Amino acid sequence: MTSHPATGGPAAGQKTISRRNLLRLGAGGALGAGLLSGCAMPASSSRLSAQARVRPGQRVNLTFWTWLPVQTVIDQWNRQRPDIQVSLQVIPAGSQGGYQKMYSALRAGNAPDLAHVEYQELPSFMLVQGLTDLSPYGIERYRADYVDWQWQQGVFGNGIYTMPWASGPMAMFYRADLFTEWGISPPATWAEFETAARRVRSRAPGAYLHSFPPSNSAWFEGLAWQAGGEWVKSAGDTWIVDIDNPQTRKVAAYWDRLIRDDLVLVENDGTSAWYKQIQDGQLACYVSADWYDALIEDNAPNTAGKWRTTTMPQWTRGSQAAANWGGSSVAVLQGSRYPTQAMEFAHWFGTNVDTVNATFLLGSGWPALQGAFGTTVLAKKSAFFGHTAYNQAFNVADAHINTNWRFLPTNDAMIDHMNDAFSAAIAGNGSLEKALAQVQSLAIEDMKAKNLKVRAA
Amino acid sequence: MALPRAQRRAAIFLGAPFFVLFAVAFVAPILDALYNSLLKTQHSGYLGLGGSRIVFAGLSNYWLALHEPEFLASYGRVLLFGIVQVPVMIILATVLAFLLEMLSRRWSSFFRATFFLPYGVPGVIASILWGFLYVPGVSPIISLLHDVGISPDFLGYHEVLWSIANIVVWEFTGYNMLIIVAQLKAIPRDLIEAARADGAGTWKTNLHIRLPLIRPALILTVVFSIIGTLQLFNEPQVLITYSPYITSSYTPNIAAYNQAFTDNNVNLASAEAVILAVVAAALSFGFLSLVNRRPR
Repeated sequence: MTSHPATGGPAAGQKTISRRNLLRLGAGGALGAGLLSGCAMPASSSRLSAQARVRPGQRVNLTFWTWLPVQTVIDQWNRQRPDIQVSLQVIPAGSQGGYQKMYSALRAGNAPDLAHVEYQELPSFMLVQGLTDLSPYGIERYRADYVDWQWQQGVFGNGIYTMPWASGPMAMFYRADLFTEWGISPPATWAEFETAARRVRSRAPGAYLHSFPPSNSAWFEGLAWQAGGEWVKSAGDTWIVDIDNPQTRKVAAYWDRLIRDDLVLVENDGTSAWYKQIQDGQLACYVSADWYDALIEDNAPNTAGKWRTTTMPQWTRGSQAAANWGGSSVAVLQGSRYPTQAMEFAHWFGTNVDTVNATFLLGSGWPALQGAFGTTVLAKKSAFFGHTAYNQAFNVADAHINTNWRFLPTNDAMIDHMNDAFSAAIAGNGSLEKALAQVQSLAIEDMKAKNLKVRAA
Repeated sequence: MALPRAQRRAAIFLGAPFFVLFAVAFVAPILDALYNSLLKTQHSGYLGLGGSRIVFAGLSNYWLALHEPEFLASYGRVLLFGIVQVPVMIILATVLAFLLEMLSRRWSSFFRATFFLPYGVPGVIASILWGFLYVPGVSPIISLLHDVGISPDFLGYHEVLWSIANIVVWEFTGYNMLIIVAQLKAIPRDLIEAARADGAGTWKTNLHIRLPLIRPALILTVVFSIIGTLQLFNEPQVLITYSPYITSSYTPNIAAYNQAFTDNNVNLASAEAVILAVVAAALSFGFLSLVNRRPR
């Protein structure tokens, strides 16, 4: 066993290590470990929100990050309020990189004052202390302006962490002309829905009543919400995850049957292939959130005038349970130096009637403003929907949403797990119902990995 | 060999921009990833929403990653992908290179450029392009096949992996072919003439003279392809909007990407990225040592 001529260490290729090198490695390792363990740094944003003093006549500059092109609305505010100037930055959609941008900015300490945060993402932001508690700044006085369940989405413990903006009440869009052609009336119950689906398949073999998305579980979440299955609750300090509950299993088993009997098209909504089916009249209806009106109009202009809306099918005849898909708020991110001014803007943004009209037309969703249906453009008739006040269905839905619904702090990861499990079940002729248990255990594991107190229901 | 002082200074001066950028854009992120992979976030307070700290985690992120069944399954998937796609692509590139050898200069340049053209298309654009060719109702290819009575499902659960392989072969065959062509051109002419003088036909010349002599190029292209296959990301990530069967951990890179940007787990994602780098290095070096064994 020869040693290396220069260092006295082992020659190349030898497996043993000299005592000197061992000591070197050991010292380096100990030093490194010491450095790293001393780095118990806070993971939250580098800067906490604190109201800076504003002298009279001083101009306050705020930044607002959103993915909706609301520049005209911002210009309107800036004209009216020279003392609080807001600059807009359009970022990618939240789930397509926008939220990661916000998380990175929070860690770096240069987050914007205001940001567009959807309701399902709020607990995830809370997990990194990314939102400013607005109760010390008097947000309570705005409570009466908003729909209560949307207000509750921002309530965590004793604090209120965001200003509601819009939601996505779900109802049913349907092609009235195709329904007449195939002799079906808009189904009032899910049992009628199944019968109608069968009828469509027999009358028009190339067409389907509806589609089922193998990997768009945020849509499925809305259906479970309607059925009364609450996926997460909290008891004291512990999260209780309950995805595999009887109501959700009922919804999953129902769609299992429809898929197995080839009564629905297995296709993700919002894709090119799906829009092609819509354009060609091979999909006759779509249970969805109100903000899908713009998407259908933009992607199937050839079907103008043929669509109508009505409320979602129900599990029990006569009930009016509805659900929500999506929904946004304007939050004041951690680190803002002007929370009071930011809050004032956020309130105006969500409640000023002209602003609400403008952002609604840009696709922001159903306004969180109390009584919006009577005061805004929501009640107008639309040519695309055959000159009917098509938003009436969503207005009814908005009044019947289960307000106990909460989102997991690892919501995005859970949705991913559900997408994977559902698409695997569909491809392998498995069952959506059985996949729920697996999704629940994966979601619990995710939360345990973040050192949260969690248990199954 | 020591350079004179002036030349050494010139070398440092001219090389500095590269080394600075290399350090900043390459070395620093790798070191950052290694550092991040040793940390984790701990939450405290009411429902875990009250506060969080970054603490030293040792190798627990690596332990977590290696015990995640989906992450391990993604390796199985890219290895299966590689075992089929790499030989197909290299064989195709070799055949095309040999065919080019037999053409006249003008046609050879034209076809060389044509076969290389797909490589000039950025991976994301190529995937979008092929994505539309795979969507029924939009794709002219599928309409043609429908007319003949075949209804292929290019985006189905079992099919989409091979649809991705098709895109990768389309993109990179020309590139690999060029490397082999370069090696072919380096073969001394007198060897070929000697073979012809000995009575060898084209087939025998290709098989016994050209093929062994392009071995270095073949080894190079296979090593590149192994590394590229393990890092598969662009094509499946773009096709997610077309096929619902591409999961959130379809390939190791997609799994790491989603850990970082959907689940906000930068630490676990860094560990997964380091694991991927180690596996890629191991497989490439393993392959190299396999083909470079000195005969006894």
